[in-house]
Amino acid sequence: MTLEWIRFAIAAVLLVLGLFAFGAAVLGAYRFGFVMNRMHAAGIGDTAGIFLVIASLAVARGFEMDTLKLVILVFFLWFTSPVSTHFLGQVEYYTNPVLRNYVKKAEAPEQMTGGKEQMTADNSQAKGEKDAAD
Amino acid sequence: MTIEQAYQTLYGGALIVLILLIGAMVIRSIIGPRSTDRIMSVNMLGTMTICSIAILSVLLDEGYLADVALIYAMISFVAVLMMASMFVPSRPKAPKLDEEPVLQGSGGQNSDSPIQKAENGSDDQAPVPGGKR
Repeated sequence: MTLEWIRFAIAAVLLVLGLFAFGAAVLGAYRFGFVMNRMHAAGIGDTAGIFLVIASLAVARGFEMDTLKLVILVFFLWFTSPVSTHFLGQVEYYTNPVLRNYVKKAEAPEQMTGGKEQMTADNSQAKGEKDAAD
Repeated sequence: MTIEQAYQTLYGGALIVLILLIGAMVIRSIIGPRSTDRIMSVNMLGTMTICSIAILSVLLDEGYLADVALIYAMISFVAVLMMASMFVPSRPKAPKLDEEPVLQGSGGQNSDSPIQKAENGSDDQAPVPGGKR
């Protein structure tokens, strides 16, 4: 009986931590003012939040087949969430001219010293995402 | 208070909290100034829905709801990719920095979209990185 209650306490702590991660993600989506920052906040909910909640469910459920399905769900989300986040960052780079002006300003000294505009234009996408992440 | 009642109270409360967070993300997806904000909100909303379906599968002791959550995760991923791919060309090429941006996707052609307004220079609300918070 005591063992069951210890298990319940572990599940409750993991669940509260997961809900805290989701709350932090929603708070970040409201507090930040730019899409890249909001995607950074949304990544917390996509990774830490779902992992902690599913870990709580797995502790409450025990060793069963459904637990395996939930673990597969967590790994699926861990693999697909960076893909969609990267793609959304790409969309933001292609469709936001203000962001492109910002990237242009940041790369101006390199263009003057390097002298190869074509290379700078080809590499601009990765640099733009790196600058926005900062 | 038995252990079953304790589990039901715990996961019922978690579902109520998740409903509040989902409502907050719906409001965020309505007031999001750009299309990327809305797609990101829908992505987070899908994650929370998956989480609540997984909680329901334990709360109701129904094993097939875990399968439903798995399928929902796949559909949500594909939906986000399709919504985002309306705005980029099928073979993306990095635009030159000195030219005006040329949008080839079908989504950026609407005259009332915030993207088009920002291109015309009439939209002062366009977000600047590190700007207004």
